[in-house]
Amino acid sequence: MKIKLLATVAAVVMSGAAFAADPIKLGLTGPFTGGSSSMGVSMRDGVKLAVDEINKAGGVLGRQIVLVERDDEAKNELGVQISQELVNKENVVASLGFINTGVALASQRFFQEAEIPVMNNVATGSVISKQFSPPDHKANYIFRTSANDIIQSGMIAEEAVKRQGFKKPAILADSTNYGQLGRTDLTAALAKLNVTPVVAEKFNIGDTDMTAQLLRAKEAGADVILTYAIGPELAQIANGMAKLGWKVPMIGSWTLSMASFIDTAGPNGDGAMMPQTFIQVPSTPKRKAFIEAYQKAYNVDRIPSPVSAAQGYDSVYLLAAAIKQAGGTDGRKIREALENLNEKVEGVVTVYDKPFSATDHEAITDNIPVFGLVKGGRVVPAHPEDLEGDKALRVKKKS
Amino acid sequence: MSIFMQLIVSGISVGMIYGVIAFGYQLTFATSKTLNFGQGEALMIGALVGLTTINVLIGQSLGTFTAYFLMLPVVLAFGALQGTVVEWLGVRQAIKTKSEAGWIMATIALGIIFKNVAENVWGRDALKFPSPLPEASLSFWGIRIQPMEIAIVIGALGMMLAVEFFNRRTIQGKAVVATASDRDAAGLMGINTSRVITFSYALSSMTAAFAGVLVAPVTLTGATMGAVLGLKAFAVAIIGGLSSGLGVVVGGLILGITETMTGYYVSTGYKDVPGLVLLLLVLSLRPSGLFGKTTIKKV
Repeated sequence: MKIKLLATVAAVVMSGAAFAADPIKLGLTGPFTGGSSSMGVSMRDGVKLAVDEINKAGGVLGRQIVLVERDDEAKNELGVQISQELVNKENVVASLGFINTGVALASQRFFQEAEIPVMNNVATGSVISKQFSPPDHKANYIFRTSANDIIQSGMIAEEAVKRQGFKKPAILADSTNYGQLGRTDLTAALAKLNVTPVVAEKFNIGDTDMTAQLLRAKEAGADVILTYAIGPELAQIANGMAKLGWKVPMIGSWTLSMASFIDTAGPNGDGAMMPQTFIQVPSTPKRKAFIEAYQKAYNVDRIPSPVSAAQGYDSVYLLAAAIKQAGGTDGRKIREALENLNEKVEGVVTVYDKPFSATDHEAITDNIPVFGLVKGGRVVPAHPEDLEGDKALRVKKKS
Repeated sequence: MSIFMQLIVSGISVGMIYGVIAFGYQLTFATSKTLNFGQGEALMIGALVGLTTINVLIGQSLGTFTAYFLMLPVVLAFGALQGTVVEWLGVRQAIKTKSEAGWIMATIALGIIFKNVAENVWGRDALKFPSPLPEASLSFWGIRIQPMEIAIVIGALGMMLAVEFFNRRTIQGKAVVATASDRDAAGLMGINTSRVITFSYALSSMTAAFAGVLVAPVTLTGATMGAVLGLKAFAVAIIGGLSSGLGVVVGGLILGITETMTGYYVSTGYKDVPGLVLLLLVLSLRPSGLFGKTTIKKV
């Protein structure tokens, strides 16, 4: 295997020297400034790390990968502009990124129409990968390497009700698309376990006082709070509970791992739990290597958003494998290669063995993420036994 | 009962935040009949300057409490300067030419510029402001309140009293009051009214900057913190009446308490509705506000 790899690399290097071939251009979009920038920047850094490694090893098909980076500022309209630029002006071969569900839904149709594959590596809205599903469309160019909201809400319900035995959950969700679609998914997941939330409360982005929401939950006798919101408001919930002198566990979507929640809630946020595809723990050799490389490259100890970094890193390797298999940069061939990937790709999150098919564009299934827990300003595994021994590496279920 | 009281207490502390910002609207309206629509941004940029200052001071191994008090003069001076700039660039010319809408566009534009500057200097993340008081809440007969919330109420009232005292007891303050009651007559009496207006803008942004560092330990600090608060405060100023200092305090309390009450007893999804309904009612029944003086515009 190793010899074969070396041989390929050698061949690739030689052919590269012989042709000095054109680089392969990939788009890279996400919010690198603003409220969700910790996710965007970590994703970008994960992607760049993978691209550097691939380029150092000779590139793909003897061609170097070049990234065209654009900051979408989490704004739908900016995402649309950038996508048009990437498709029409930069002529990218494929695109990586999208952190925000709204931006993804508004932007990815340009790639779909131009038959350019998109690797969604962070956005979680359930509909993203199904926006252009066959049979309504001839082929779907949208792929995903993150855990979607149906998976996450199912896990949250399972953890709260089955594993921890809570009977009276209260749902607190923000009034954005993310929060309200998540609330719907969560209510449905709870209904499957014959549990009805005692209350489902709403708040706006920028709200600073959660007294009314929390008192309603408290008076309804809630024994756990399930959340679907983003960092700053989640911190206000944790701080509000401390103010009211009422403490029940918080379990919610993966945004509870955002640095803006952990840092602003401080000790009040300790104990919050959320599904994570990757936790910054060296539980496999690949993860160890990734964490060390990231820390060295960006000179940090704590990865701001480990999940985004790992999913970003993996999405590059999946794409590179597909381009290699397609033998070129034709979008249609890359899509076909992704849908029937022969090479097993060893990623940080999992080992991808035929991650996609013509009808399934989700690389992550509900058995892959584990629960993380906020403890002393970091996310640690909530149930360390989940990552022990052969359970550390969780691979996609065969359908 | 204790829940009802808890809601009242939370409503008061939220309402006081609105009131103190609305007070800034009232200050400039009294003297010049113009408003700074960038009041929320004045609050935001004051809070961010305060954050940088306090972090520098804490870096000099000062305690948070001492650092907070040493930071206040810096923030107040910055607020005064910022207000002066707004008046010079945005309002002076409009008043001179008696333009009806020029100052509206100009203050909105300046507000947007301040927001963009803040985004570039401090980034767009919400940042935590170090709290000078312990963050653990106190309990009185089962009602929980954070020390900082008490400080907001005291600080806001203290600031408004200081401004009222200044207006009534000092010669410069009397010039402000004279300009407020009749600008032309005050000008004929030898008061430099354009300087009084500049001063009222400086004072208004100063109160906004002070409000910013007062509320920042409870909310969070960031380039977008001004937008929502500025808008709510505007509603408060209209409910209470733009010509009355007492009016904006009462207006703030009314809005704050209705919000928390509606949130609890009706639905958190409709939290903002009753306040806006009240706003419409006041506008149709008493356009000058609950406490405003009705003025008859003679043509």
